[in-house]
Amino acid sequence: MLLITQLTFIGVLLAGSVHSQNLDQVIHINLDHSSVKTSLLGIQEKSGIKFVLPEKLLSGLKTEITLGEQTKTVKYLIEKVLGGTNLEYKIVEGYVVIAQKPVPQQPGNIAGRITDEKGGPLPGATVKVMETGQTVQSDPDGNYSISLKPGNYSIEVSYISFLAQKMNNVSVREGKTTTLSFSMKPSDNQLSEVVVSYGKQRMKDVTGSIATIDASQLQDMPVGQFAQQLQGKVAGVQIAQTSGQPGRGMGFIIRGAASFYSSNQPLFVIDGTPITGSINNINPAEIESFSFLKDASATALYGSRAANGVVLITTKHAKPGDSKIDFSTYYGIQKIPTGKLPKMMTAREFATFMKERGEDGLKYEPGYTIAADYHAAYDHPEQYGDGTNWFDLLTRSAPIQSYDLTIQSARGHSSSTVIAGYQEQQGVVINNGTKLFSVRFNQDFTSANNKLKVGFNLAPSYRMDHNNRLTSDGVGGYFERFFEASPLASPYNPDGTYARSVASPGMVAYINPLATYMLTNDDYSTTRILGNAYLNYEFLPGLSVKTNLGVDKGAEMRKYFQGGLVTGTQGQTTGTSSSVDNGSWTAEGNLAYTKTFGKDHSIDALIGYSAQEFNTYSNNLTGLGFASDDIEYLNAATSITGGSGAGSYSLLSAIARINYAYKGRYLLSAAVRRDGSSKFGINKQWGSFPSLSAGWVVSDEAFMKNLKDISFLKLRASYGITGNNFFAGNYDSQATIGTYYYNFNNTITQGQTINRLPNQELRWERNKQLDLGFEIGLLNNRITFTYDYYRKLTDGLIQQRAIPTSSGFSQIIFNVGELKMWGHEFSVSSKNLTGSFKWNTNLSLSFDRNLITNLVDPGYIRRNITVSSDYFRQQVGHHLGEFYGFVFDGLYKDAADLANSAKYLSTPAKPNGSSDIGTIKVKDINGDGVIDDVNDRTFIGDPTPTFTGGMVNNFKYKNFDLTIDMTFSVGGKILNAAKWAYQTNMDGSRVLLAAAADRWRSPENPGSGIYPRTKSGTTGIGRSVNSQWIENGSYLAAKNISLGYTVPVKNLMLKNLRVFASVQQAFVITGYSGMNPEINVGGSDPTLGVGIDENAYPIPRTFSLGISTTFR
Amino acid sequence: MKKIYIAIVLLTIGLSACKKDFIELNPEDSYTDGVFYKTEQQFRSAVVAAYAPLRDVLINDYFTSEMHSDNTVYQPIPGNRGTAYVERENISDFTNTSTNAYVSATWQHSYTGISRCNIIIERLKGSDLDEAVKANLDGQAKFLRALNYFKLVRLYGGVPLSIAEVKTAEDAFKPRATEAEVYAQIVADAKDAMNELAAPAKFPQTGEATKGSAAMLLANVYAVQKKWAEAETVLNSLLTMGYDLNANYGDAFLPTNKNGKESIFEIQFLGGSITGSTPNVLSFHFIPRSKDTRILTGIAIDNTSTGGWNTPSSDLIADFEPNDKRLDASIGIAEGTYDASSYFVYSAAKSIINYVPATGKIGVPYIKKYLHSPLVATTGSSDDFPIYRFSDALLLLAEALNEQGKSALALAPLNRVRKRAGLADIVTADQTELKTIILHERRVELAFENSRWTDLLRTGKALNVINAFGVKIRQQLPYLSSDAYVIDNHHLVFPIPQNEVGLNPKVIQNPGYF
Repeated sequence: MLLITQLTFIGVLLAGSVHSQNLDQVIHINLDHSSVKTSLLGIQEKSGIKFVLPEKLLSGLKTEITLGEQTKTVKYLIEKVLGGTNLEYKIVEGYVVIAQKPVPQQPGNIAGRITDEKGGPLPGATVKVMETGQTVQSDPDGNYSISLKPGNYSIEVSYISFLAQKMNNVSVREGKTTTLSFSMKPSDNQLSEVVVSYGKQRMKDVTGSIATIDASQLQDMPVGQFAQQLQGKVAGVQIAQTSGQPGRGMGFIIRGAASFYSSNQPLFVIDGTPITGSINNINPAEIESFSFLKDASATALYGSRAANGVVLITTKHAKPGDSKIDFSTYYGIQKIPTGKLPKMMTAREFATFMKERGEDGLKYEPGYTIAADYHAAYDHPEQYGDGTNWFDLLTRSAPIQSYDLTIQSARGHSSSTVIAGYQEQQGVVINNGTKLFSVRFNQDFTSANNKLKVGFNLAPSYRMDHNNRLTSDGVGGYFERFFEASPLASPYNPDGTYARSVASPGMVAYINPLATYMLTNDDYSTTRILGNAYLNYEFLPGLSVKTNLGVDKGAEMRKYFQGGLVTGTQGQTTGTSSSVDNGSWTAEGNLAYTKTFGKDHSIDALIGYSAQEFNTYSNNLTGLGFASDDIEYLNAATSITGGSGAGSYSLLSAIARINYAYKGRYLLSAAVRRDGSSKFGINKQWGSFPSLSAGWVVSDEAFMKNLKDISFLKLRASYGITGNNFFAGNYDSQATIGTYYYNFNNTITQGQTINRLPNQELRWERNKQLDLGFEIGLLNNRITFTYDYYRKLTDGLIQQRAIPTSSGFSQIIFNVGELKMWGHEFSVSSKNLTGSFKWNTNLSLSFDRNLITNLVDPGYIRRNITVSSDYFRQQVGHHLGEFYGFVFDGLYKDAADLANSAKYLSTPAKPNGSSDIGTIKVKDINGDGVIDDVNDRTFIGDPTPTFTGGMVNNFKYKNFDLTIDMTFSVGGKILNAAKWAYQTNMDGSRVLLAAAADRWRSPENPGSGIYPRTKSGTTGIGRSVNSQWIENGSYLAAKNISLGYTVPVKNLMLKNLRVFASVQQAFVITGYSGMNPEINVGGSDPTLGVGIDENAYPIPRTFSLGISTTFR
Repeated sequence: MKKIYIAIVLLTIGLSACKKDFIELNPEDSYTDGVFYKTEQQFRSAVVAAYAPLRDVLINDYFTSEMHSDNTVYQPIPGNRGTAYVERENISDFTNTSTNAYVSATWQHSYTGISRCNIIIERLKGSDLDEAVKANLDGQAKFLRALNYFKLVRLYGGVPLSIAEVKTAEDAFKPRATEAEVYAQIVADAKDAMNELAAPAKFPQTGEATKGSAAMLLANVYAVQKKWAEAETVLNSLLTMGYDLNANYGDAFLPTNKNGKESIFEIQFLGGSITGSTPNVLSFHFIPRSKDTRILTGIAIDNTSTGGWNTPSSDLIADFEPNDKRLDASIGIAEGTYDASSYFVYSAAKSIINYVPATGKIGVPYIKKYLHSPLVATTGSSDDFPIYRFSDALLLLAEALNEQGKSALALAPLNRVRKRAGLADIVTADQTELKTIILHERRVELAFENSRWTDLLRTGKALNVINAFGVKIRQQLPYLSSDAYVIDNHHLVFPIPQNEVGLNPKVIQNPGYF
């Protein structure tokens, strides 16, 4: 219409020059003390030209025309009369039309400040003028200014994680500044955007089960790994620290262990690029936020790798207008908490035990003899004091420190972020530690029309582990040795050199653990580059192409050297040089389309492809025959052996997703991914992973408007299928040819033949998951509550299936069975107090259950075929990893008890078998009167906790803030093998727990009834699992308590200064007698079982002080 | 339109890299079965791989076939009751259960060898190798398969009979065959091997299986089956293949005399630490546990965690006739003292002949046959281990003749063996007497060669001999359990490894075992 009017108007003007009435006619008129209107009417009368005089324009005019007598052209007169007014004239259809003069408008301004609810500035908030689509960002002080033509406007301000605000009818006057400030309210995530698979979504619109964590809340924790920061934060996400090795030892499980053999770790995606290497080398300071994708609809676009959930990590990208430098650092001291250290026998106690053991041998065992050195060592225990405390010698208080510098700048359409970090963690075990240098460059560019976005992220890092890759955990690990070496032995020879053997007479051989740590030099360096580049281009409104190319490149080098004094074979000084070069690339291209139809229908669609390839090359050289321990390089070795190998896997995928919303409150999402993986049998490489989900924002319904207390309510449901391809082998489904050597007449001859059975039918481990949930916000979202119920069925579980060795093979990679998992997850977030004293609480709680519903013959999978380490069994009808063993029934009390009870391995030739009065008695499960290893063991405990969770409380008063971060687990059982298999060995071959002194010695002196007698040949059953080993693993751990003070600063440059003190691993309340109840979550290798404590590097308590600053 | 082109170009940049075979990857650092087993060299390589498990069987079979008899016992170590000790002791004591890892190991490694032979035999059929080459390779594979099954059937009774390549999980679940079925397969394989293989072309031989190896195996099978005439025929053919006894008994075991004229088949070892070397560790498994074995091995080897097994029993030592040269060649004395951890502190290596311990010392007998000091490396020696020697063939021939009533003819081969040992000729032609004499001769001639237990089994003497031995040895060695060497019929076969029974419901456990 406007356009047509203008054209008409131009036409009239052109016509006017031909047909216009003669404005050039000269008239005579007296215009004195008359109004404009009167003057014009006079001109009309005198000239005969018709005027259109809008009353409303003229009536209010106060201008007085005093021209006097005039004889001039009409044109001159009209212009003269209108000269002092804001009016002009036009000739329209033969009339002279008086109209308002178009104002040569000076723009006005809207300006103001955007603050959070406390009045702090919010830099980078987006201010949008709805009518014009103009946007600006607030500056570092929260100020903004928009220049606008005079008029009335609607202004909307948005900022991530705050509620958007809109102000209507804001008038802008010419040349004037309208002040409009906003105080933003936190959005409680309902409206803020969250990172989801392949994009972002408003939390309100999400139909899957997604939890997000803002990493800025986590920065006070003096830890080197982000996983440590996340413990207990998210319902359904179990994270546990199974080992205190610096920079290592974290286990992640989302919604219960989903697999027996494949990894249970979720897929980690950093800035859109799935990473293939370790997550340990990522500096927590680089991270801005985490999204935990839990259900199948949230993860479906990651298809074959999504069965264990997906963790999307977004790194820091500078926001427009937010240029600043942040520097933060902390320094802490780590100490091993001593409360749960096993109390081992002192030298005197051990000598007493050994002496008595000998006496009992002579008393009870005909033909028992005691060697001379045994007599010499133990006959006079009183000569010894506490003896060597190996634990004290091998552990220490160790520093941990971290420095992070973040430089962010964003001006106009480009943004850059540089984060440089250095972390150093010395081990609480001597001569052990790790250092990490990391840098991240994030560079983003947006074109002036906002249609093109290009970015480049690069994160190189370098980690140096010193003696941190030694096997410290588990059976035979170095940590076990701390408690086994004899307190009677000195670590040093009389001449001050290290002793090799630290066993006392009667013990098995022990190599000096102090010397082992001091004479081993294992430097392991990891260089890692994570990088990605993306290009998004909106080539038609709503239709964009998005491409991403990501690279995860790693190079590892190991230099290992162990002096001959401590090598397994004495004098065999050993050096190793090895390296691994690996890398993966991911290329993705997507088309995304967003469109709103009419008022009520909006869709958001995505199709694309993805290709990923991983390659690794490794080599390993071992040198022997070193003439001395002086030169640690293989140059000094006389014999070098080694090899090299390579491997790769690839993944090719197509994805599609459509999100549909009706009226913004009925939400529907469907997605599918089709994946082909090189890891599977040639006949089963491809799999499809569809998902469907729906949401209903009930609180937007009219009928809810009256329920003022309910500010938000959404119901969700989803169902989908995902897969798991995380298993170690690249070619496990193929029969490969291995090398075997034989020699003929001393000539080495290489043989080659099949070393692995193929499985061409090996397919995806498939996970079908249903999720039902709701989110509710109460009292203007002061309290939010999220609930999810999930039900998963994993079939085709991949495992190395044991097969009869009469085939010539012992295993085959196989889809072995089905596992059902279900659970309930609750999250509550509450602002308990909001006044000057603020108190927020976040609570997460999950109840996870599982049941094995199907397995290949024979219906169970053993951990190990050796009875003494056959700790658990996966069996149909049972829970994952249920412990398996004998049922402890005390000790045989007396002759009558022995006679009337079943005995271990009794035979006609030896009716008492390996049992006697005072030895361990177990239940005769099959009732045949004999205890044996096959028929009398049963299920004796379930490691799955009843519930797990965490609670974070934040307190704030004036400039002080206090955070208490707790995690807990209730009901899971732990098999304490560290204690029973190693620390209560009644044969005197290892040092014992001090409590074991209270053992059975005679019917009159039966001891505590827990520890059996020492009689030769009767102690064997003590090495097999019995129910005595099973303990309740419930715990409440204060993972972190930190107190911060924000120093008020008035400085042009320094904008923010906060100091804090924190205690990590502050305390653990548990009835578990071992050192670490968190062992209850599996580490990276699920085949080792969950809840099995076989000695691990202790988790230190860390006291730290830190400071964080912001400069602008 | 230009914009759309740009979008399409961007999308296809990656897609164009994705060829159809993008996800069809094969390992680069090894072959897969699809491309292997084509050339003669590859098949030869596969045969070499089929020999390798012999070493793995051996390292467990000295428990299941030698210590599981009256020939040897073990050094006690009460301070370490780990299963690695207890389970091995149990085999020696006849108290092993079905969960015994070392009983399982003999089973498993025998089958590993069988499976490798099955692959060769099956894939050779479809290959286009030269027929002569095929025959030779097939013959070697069949000999090895028969040898492994023969070990299994004697130790465990009827076992699952797998003679085709296992390609799927289903193929792996086989029921037990009867003993007769297993023996039929062994005989068939051994006959094929005899036909396909040539007699040794020269001495020393190559170390590969020969017609002689197959003939000896077949004769041994016939002896078990008491088909004495067939055994005699086969053994007589063996006599024509150029084998002979060395002048000295000990020469047969010298590393410098490998695959010599007395060797019919032996397991090859090569010391050293370079890639592909296959050192023999038995030399220090068979001596008392010590932090320093230098006096016996000539090199600083700590065998506290590996040694202490296969200690000659007093019963065996006493069984050597006076002046039998084989005693000194087979057994030595380590002199020293035990410490409280039951480790032995060596003070001297002594001859067993007329040995009297020095004051305050203990003399512990050890197997000397395979220990040729000094060892080259701490990883082991280059001593081969005999499976079949010519003296075995001679004694078996003597037995075959005697069993057929041709007792007089039996004396020649018997005395040929005795003569070398420095013993007087046997002159009696009494069949029963000779039976005992020949069995005794086998015991001392073939001591520590893992044939004692199977000899006792096939001669039906196992129950009597072992129980009687038990009465004596339990008195002598107080550390032995009261049920050690107390055996009944069920002890005549080992239990099927529990893992096999547990995995495969079609496999039924031997009676008397859980």
